[in-house]
Amino acid sequence: MKFSSTLLFAAGLVSASVMADDAHDLISKGQYLATAADCAACHNGTDEQRSAFAGGYTIDSPMGKIIASNITPSKQFGIGNYTEQQFADALRKGIAADGSHLYPAMPYTAYQGLTDADVKALYAYFMQGVRAVDKAPTEKTELAFPFSVRQAMFGWNLLYTDAKPFEAPQGMAANVAHGKYLSDVLAHCGTCHTPRNAMMAEDNSQYLAGAALGGWYAPNITSDKESGIGNWSQQQLEQYLKTGSVPNLSQAGGPMAEAVEHSFRFLTDSDIRDIAAYIKQVPAISTATAKVRANATPALTNINEVITGQGEQKTLADSSTVDGAKLYDNACASCHGRNGQGTADHFYPSLTSNTAVTAALPNNLVMAISHGLSRKGNDVDVLMPAFGRDMSDAQIAAVSNYVRLHFGNIDDGLTAKDVASITSGGPAPFLVRYINLLMALGAIIVLAVLFALFRRKKH
Amino acid sequence: MSNEFDADVIVIGSGALGSNAAYTLAKKGKSVIILEAGEKIPRWKIVENFRNSSKKENYNSPYPNEPWAHHSYDEQYIENTGSFELRPGMLKLVGGTTWHWAAAAWRYIPNDMKLKTLYGVGRDWPMEYSELEPYYLKAELALGVCGSDTEDQSGQGGEAWPPRSGKYPMEPEGETYLFQRLKDRIGSAGFNFIHEPNARATRAYDTRPACSGNNNCMPVCPIGAMYSGNVHAQHAEDEGAKLITDATAYKLEKGPNGDIVAVHYRSSKGDDVRLTAKYFIVAAHGLETPKLLLISDVANSSDQVGRNLMDHTGMGLTFLADEEVWMGRGAVQQGGIFNRRDGEFRRDYAAVKHAVSNGVPNMKVARRLIEQGVFGQQLDERLRDEASRWVEISTVFEMLPHQSNRVEASTTRKDALGIPMLKVHYDVDDYVKAAKPYASADFARFVELMGGTVIEDDTGWQNRDHLMGTVIMGDDPTDSVVNHECRTWDHKNLFLATTGVIPASGVINPTLTGVALSIRAAEIIDREI
Repeated sequence: MKFSSTLLFAAGLVSASVMADDAHDLISKGQYLATAADCAACHNGTDEQRSAFAGGYTIDSPMGKIIASNITPSKQFGIGNYTEQQFADALRKGIAADGSHLYPAMPYTAYQGLTDADVKALYAYFMQGVRAVDKAPTEKTELAFPFSVRQAMFGWNLLYTDAKPFEAPQGMAANVAHGKYLSDVLAHCGTCHTPRNAMMAEDNSQYLAGAALGGWYAPNITSDKESGIGNWSQQQLEQYLKTGSVPNLSQAGGPMAEAVEHSFRFLTDSDIRDIAAYIKQVPAISTATAKVRANATPALTNINEVITGQGEQKTLADSSTVDGAKLYDNACASCHGRNGQGTADHFYPSLTSNTAVTAALPNNLVMAISHGLSRKGNDVDVLMPAFGRDMSDAQIAAVSNYVRLHFGNIDDGLTAKDVASITSGGPAPFLVRYINLLMALGAIIVLAVLFALFRRKKH
Repeated sequence: MSNEFDADVIVIGSGALGSNAAYTLAKKGKSVIILEAGEKIPRWKIVENFRNSSKKENYNSPYPNEPWAHHSYDEQYIENTGSFELRPGMLKLVGGTTWHWAAAAWRYIPNDMKLKTLYGVGRDWPMEYSELEPYYLKAELALGVCGSDTEDQSGQGGEAWPPRSGKYPMEPEGETYLFQRLKDRIGSAGFNFIHEPNARATRAYDTRPACSGNNNCMPVCPIGAMYSGNVHAQHAEDEGAKLITDATAYKLEKGPNGDIVAVHYRSSKGDDVRLTAKYFIVAAHGLETPKLLLISDVANSSDQVGRNLMDHTGMGLTFLADEEVWMGRGAVQQGGIFNRRDGEFRRDYAAVKHAVSNGVPNMKVARRLIEQGVFGQQLDERLRDEASRWVEISTVFEMLPHQSNRVEASTTRKDALGIPMLKVHYDVDDYVKAAKPYASADFARFVELMGGTVIEDDTGWQNRDHLMGTVIMGDDPTDSVVNHECRTWDHKNLFLATTGVIPASGVINPTLTGVALSIRAAEIIDREI
C-alpha cells in the first residue's frame, strides 16, 4: 500500500506500534472496500493526474449531468469535516452533512446495506488514507427542473430506501451470502443490471435481469440459461471479473470494462469466487433473446470480388459506402479476421462466438464500434479504436447489421436513426419523458385533495 | 479572440508538425484555423485502397492524387534539373505524409547540432541540444514513442545517450528474430546495433491500439497503432480548432509594417478566400513551404529560401544469408548499426547509418525469380527459401547544405488551381561520396559475417524522403530564413513548422525533431498572443 509508510510514521509519533498496526489495518481494509465499492469509478478527478477522489467525473443521467463530488478529506472542498455518522448517512441514506439530499447516481440504495464495521473502515480510509485535494470540480451538477429540486428526493427515499443493514437470506451458505453482500452492497451490480421502474428506482421483481445504460446494455446476469449467464461456469465468471474477457464468450466494454479496470481486478481470489458463486445462483428471470433466423447464415462476401478504390481518382477519396461487407473488411477484418474468427491467442476476440454479437439488442456492438473499447484487466491492456469519427451512423448501422447477420444470423435491419439513438444514450426513461404530464397530474391530485378537504370542512 | 481577425493563428498544413502546433495552441485556448490542401479520409478507406491496389510497392498509390492536391509521385509534380532525381513520397491529405512512414522517432545527439564547431563542415544549429531537449520529450509523449532508455544512440557503445529528462513513454517492442540473428553475428564483430525509437504503440496509447505486427507501416497501418498526423489533427479539432480541407494556400500577404496579415487559399471549386490572423505557421513540408514563401515573395531577404536542400541520400544492400532469418515479422524496421553516426571522421566524410529493413520481401524475391525464368514448383521452393534468408540494409548519409541544391516554383508547370508546381535541383555532394567506400566496406563485411550471397550492393543513390535545409535555421538573418524559434527573420508573426528548418542533417529521420520544434514554436506564439 502506497500510504503505509507515511501513515505508520505519522501514527508512530502519537501511539504505540500495536495501535498503529490496528489503525493501519483499518485503513487498508477501508481502501479495499472503497475499491470493491468502486468509489473511484465516479469520484476520481478529471485532471491529468486523475487525482484520487477529487471528483469531477460527469455522470450523464437521463435527468441531466451529475458531477461527482470531491470526497477527499479536504475540509473546504471535500468531506474533511464529516463525522463518522455524517459519513454513514451519506453512504446509507444519501444525505450530505449539510442535510441536503444526494441524487441516487450515488448508489446509496445499495450502500444502505453496509455493515457498521465496513462503514468504520471506509471512514478511516477516506479520512486518513486519502490525500486531501483542495479544489472543487470545475463543473457543477445541472439538472432540469423539477429534478433540480433535491428536496424531492425525500419522498423518493421514503419509498425506496430502508437503511437496514445487510442480512443474508435464511439458509444461504456463508460464502454465497458473502458474495451477495459484495454484489448487492459494495459492487452494486443492481445499479446497472436491474431495470428501473417508472420512478427510476430499481425494479426488484426484475433483479439483475438486464437494463439499458447510456447507450450500452447491462445484460441479464441471472441464472437463466437462454437470456442470462446460466451457462457460464464458475471459472468463466471469475475470469471475466478479473480480466474482462472470456475467450469465445464475452468481453467487457463500456461501464463494465471500467468496473473490471477500477474494481474487480483488484479483489481477492476468494472474494471473486464468492461473487461468482452468488451470481450463479440468482434466480433465473427469462428475458427476450435475439431472434435467430430460421434459414442458414448468409455466405460471406468474397473480398476478392470487392474491388473499389483504384483507377478513378475520385474513388480513392470517396468514403461514402454503406456496404457492410466492404466496411467490415476494411475497418474490422485486420484484427477480427475476415471470417470474424479473431486470433488464435484471443488477443483479438472472436465475433462468431461473442455475446456482444448475439445479445438480444445490438446496443453493445454499436457502442463498441462507435466508442471503441478500453480496458485494463489483470492480464493485458485492451484498446479497440473508436470508429464513431471514421464512420457515419449509417455506416455503423451497416457494420453492425453485417456482423450480427453473418456471425450471429440475426437480422436487425438497424438504421442510421437507431444508431444515433443508441450512441446518444438511448431513449429517455419514462420519468423524464412524462415529467410534465406527471407534474400536471400531481397538481390535479393536490387540487382534488384540497377541494375534498375544503368540502369536508364546510360540512 | 479578437473580432478583427479570423483566428489567432492560422496553420497551413495538417501533417504531424502542423497538427501538433495547432493542437498545442488550441489546447491553450487560442482560436486556430488549419488549412489543408487535401481531404479528410478515414483509415479504413486507405486500407481498402491499399488492398485493391495493383501497385503494392508504390506507397503513394492508396492515397488520392487530386489535380489540385498532387501527391509527389505525380509525374508533373517535381521537375528535376540536377544529377539526382529527387522524388520523396509526400502526401496531401489530413494528417500528411506520416500516414506512411516507418515511424522512426530519433533525437539528434548534441554533436549533430555543432557540426561546424566540432568538425569544421556544414552549419551549426543556432541552439544547443539542451534547449531542444524538453520539447523532444513533449514530442515523444505526443507521438507515443517507444524506445530504450539505456542505449547509446550515438552508436559508440557507451552510456545512454543523448541525455533525456524523462523516460520514453513506452518500452520497446520485442526484438525480432531477424534483428537477433544479425545482432548476434554482425554485432559480435564490433558493429553496434541500436534499437530504433519509434512512434508505434507497444501498449494501448492515446486513441491507438498496440502494434500487432501487420508489417504494413508503409503504405498504411491498418489499425492505427503507428502514429500519423491525423491523430493530432483530430485532437486539435476536439480542442476547438477549425479544419478547412480542400484549401490550398497560395499567397501570404504582407502588411505595411512587414508583418503577414493574411493568407489566401483556393479550393477545387474555384473559391478564393482571404483569412486574417495574428500569427501564421506554414507547415507544408520541406518543398511546399519554401515554394509558398517564394511565390508570396516573403521571408527571403537572405535569398536562402528553397536553397540548402538536403535529403539523407542513401544506398542499399540486399543479400541472402546462409541461414533463415525471416525478414518481415513485426514492424517494418527496428533499428540498425550506428558506429559511423559520430566521430572525428566527420571532418572528412559524411556520417553513415545502416538501418535493417524488415518489410516482407516476398514480392521482391518473386519478381527477381520470375525475371530469371524460374517457374512452377521450383518457383515455390526457391521463393520459400530465399524469402527466409533475404536481408536488406538501407543506408543513409549525412548531406551538407549547399546553395545550389534547391527547390523553386516551377515556371512551366501549374496544378489545376493555377498554382506553380515544383522545380528541384539536387546533386549528391563530395562529402557523401567520400563516405561511400566506407559504407561499401561495411556492406562487404556484413555479407561476409552472415555467410551471405550478394543480390545487390551498388544501388546508386536513393531517395530517403527526409527534406531538410530549405528554410534553413540560423543565427544570422543574412544567411538563414528562420531563427532558433522557427520565426522568420523578415516577419515576426510568421513561423515555419517543417523539417526544412533543420540546418545540419545528421543521419537520423527528422520527424521527431520537426514535431519538437513545432510544439516549441506554438508555445512561443501562445506566450505572445
